[in-house]
Amino acid sequence: MSFSSNTFLQALNPKLSEILNPRAEKALQEGSTDEIIVLDSATTVYEGERIPTIQDISLRVKKGEILFIIGPNGAGKTTLLETICGILPLREGSVEVFGLSTKKYGHQIRKRIGYVIQEMDFDPSEPFLVKDVVLIGRIGLIGVGKRVTKRDWEIVRASLEAVGMEAFWGRPIGKLSAGQQQKVMIASALAGEPEVLLLDEPFANLDINARHDIYQLLLKLNREAGVTILCVSHNLGIPPETDKVILMQNGRIIMNSEREKALTSPLYKAFIELSQAEKGVYNAAKTAQEK
Amino acid sequence: MDLLFLFSRLSLQLLFKVILGATLAGMACSLIGVFVVHLKITAIGFSMSHAAFAGAALGLLINSYLSFDPLISASIFAIAVALLLGPMSEKTRLNPNVVLGIIFTLSLALGFIFLSFLPSGVVSSEAVQILWGSVFGLDWLDFLLLGLVNLAIVAIIIIFYKEFLATMFHRKVALAAGINVSFFNFLILFLTALTVSFTLKIVGALLVYALIVNPTSTVYQFAYDTKKIFIFSPVVGIISAIGGVLLSFMTNFPIGSSIIIVSSIIFVVSVIFSPKKRRGIVQQHQ
Ligand SMILES: Nc1ncnc2c1ncn2[C@@H]1O[C@H](COP(=O)(O)OP(=O)(O)OP(=O)(O)O)[C@@H](O)[C@H]1O
Ligand SMILES: [Mg+2]
Repeated sequence: MSFSSNTFLQALNPKLSEILNPRAEKALQEGSTDEIIVLDSATTVYEGERIPTIQDISLRVKKGEILFIIGPNGAGKTTLLETICGILPLREGSVEVFGLSTKKYGHQIRKRIGYVIQEMDFDPSEPFLVKDVVLIGRIGLIGVGKRVTKRDWEIVRASLEAVGMEAFWGRPIGKLSAGQQQKVMIASALAGEPEVLLLDEPFANLDINARHDIYQLLLKLNREAGVTILCVSHNLGIPPETDKVILMQNGRIIMNSEREKALTSPLYKAFIELSQAEKGVYNAAKTAQEK
Repeated sequence: MDLLFLFSRLSLQLLFKVILGATLAGMACSLIGVFVVHLKITAIGFSMSHAAFAGAALGLLINSYLSFDPLISASIFAIAVALLLGPMSEKTRLNPNVVLGIIFTLSLALGFIFLSFLPSGVVSSEAVQILWGSVFGLDWLDFLLLGLVNLAIVAIIIIFYKEFLATMFHRKVALAAGINVSFFNFLILFLTALTVSFTLKIVGALLVYALIVNPTSTVYQFAYDTKKIFIFSPVVGIISAIGGVLLSFMTNFPIGSSIIIVSSIIFVVSVIFSPKKRRGIVQQHQ
C-alpha cells in the first residue's frame, strides 16, 4: 500500500477533507522495498557504557503491520525504538527504514516517523503551549526555513481534536495531567503525518475509555492510511489486530511471532505469569502494609 | 543627582552613544539569554564570558606593541570555548561542569596574567574597561559590529523559530521530529560567543553573563508562551541596560555593576509578583 497524505489526513480527522490537496493524491514517498523497517544484528551501546544495551537484534517489519513489543523493565524496548529511528548511535549491524540507512539518512527518516516518548516529564513553569508542542511533531515535515502555514495549523488542530484535547490549545503542557500530556504527545506525532508510528507505552497514563479511543484512532490510521505501528505496551493485552508480538529480555528479542502463536507460546505465558506473580507479590505487600 | 542636571552635563552625541550602546548590548544579551536559560547552558555562557575576557586581555597586550583590536582575540577565545563545548553538551552522560570550572578559572588566571604584563598606563583605562565595562571607549566600529550581531540574532531567530522552539522544548522530541539538533545547538553557542565578545567593552567580562540570564529569568516569571518570552526579554534587557547606564552616571558605579543592579532589582520585583513563584522558587528549595 502506498502512503498518501490525503488518506492519512482523512483518517486522522474527517474535518480535514476540506483542506485535502488534490495533487498529493499520488504516494508521498515510495519506499524502495515492501519491508519498511529492517534491522540486521543491530547492537546499541549507550554513551560511556561498555556493555551493549540491545544486542544482535534482527527484525523485519512490513508496511502496514502492527507490532506489539513487550518485556520487563530494562529489557531494552525504549532503546530498540530509538535505535530504529536512529537517535541512538549504532555500534554494530545495520538499521534501514524506508530502504534508507539510519546512519546516513537519520534526519530524512525521522521526518517520516512519528515517535511518542515514554516519559512525560514536562516542567509546569516551562512556557510551551499545547499547540506549539503539537506543531513540533510537524516541523520536520514543514522543512527548515519554511513558514508555518494556515494549513499546518489546521492539521495541528485536527490532531488535537482526534485525541480529544482541542480545548487545551493554549495551555502550557506542563500544567496538564500525565494522561493529558500523553494525548498531546500522541497528537504531536500524528501531526507529522507519519508513515511509521513508534509508540512507547502510549496508554500508560490513559484511563480505560481513552485507551479504547486512542487505540481505535491508531487502528483507523493503520487500516485506512496504511500507517505501520510499533507499540510498546502492557496496558492493552495483545489486541486481535496485532500482526506480530515481540518479547524482549536483557537486550535481546527472545520471541518474535504471529499473535496466535505468541499467545500460546510458553515464553509469553512465562512472561505473563511473571507479571501476574509480581502483581501478586505487590498486592500482598500492599495489603500487609495497610494492616 | 538630578537627571536633568546629568543630561545637561553630557554632550548630545555622547548621550546618544551611551543609549545606543546600552540598547544594542541589552538586546543581544537578552535574546541570547532566552536560549541559554531554556537549554540550561548557563554554565557555558559563564565560562565563555571569562574566556572572552582572557582573549581581550591578550588583545590589549598585543595592542600595546602593535595595533590590534582586542575584540578579535576575545571572539576567538569565546568561539574556541563554543567549539570545545559544543560536542560535549551533546553527550548526556558526560558531566561538563568540571571542564567548565577549569575553563572558567583558567581564563581568569590567564586574563590577569596578560593584564599584569600591560604597560601601567593601559592597565588603568582599558583593562578596567574590559573587566567592568564602559561606554566611553566605544568607537563607531564597535557599534556597527554590535548592530550586525543584533541583526544576525534577530534574523536567525525569525528564520529558524520553529526549529528553536523544538530544540528548546525537548531534545529527544526535536530529534525525533527530524531536526538537526546538534546544528542548532552549535548555532546558539556560536551566537553566544559573538554576543559575549562584542558586548564585553560595554558591560564588562565579569558581569555580561548576568545581562544574559536576568532578563529572560524575569520574563519567565510571567510568560507561558515562548513567543512572548522572545518579545519581552529584549524589552527587559534594554530597560536594564539603559537604566544601568543612567545609574552609573548618577553614582559613578562601573557600568557593568549598575546594569546588573538594575536588572537584579527588576528580577526580584518580578519574582515577588510572579504567578509562578509558588511553584518555581519554593519547589527548588524543598
Ligand atoms: N541513557 C542511558 N545510559 C546508559 N544506560 C541506559 C540509558 N538508558 C537506559 N539504559 C539502560 O539500558 C537498559 C534498557 O533500557 P530501556 O529504557 O531500553 O528499557 P525498557 O525496556 O524501555 O524499560 P521500561 O519498561 O522500564 O521502559 C536498562 O538496563 C537501562 O539501565
Ligand atoms: Mg522504556
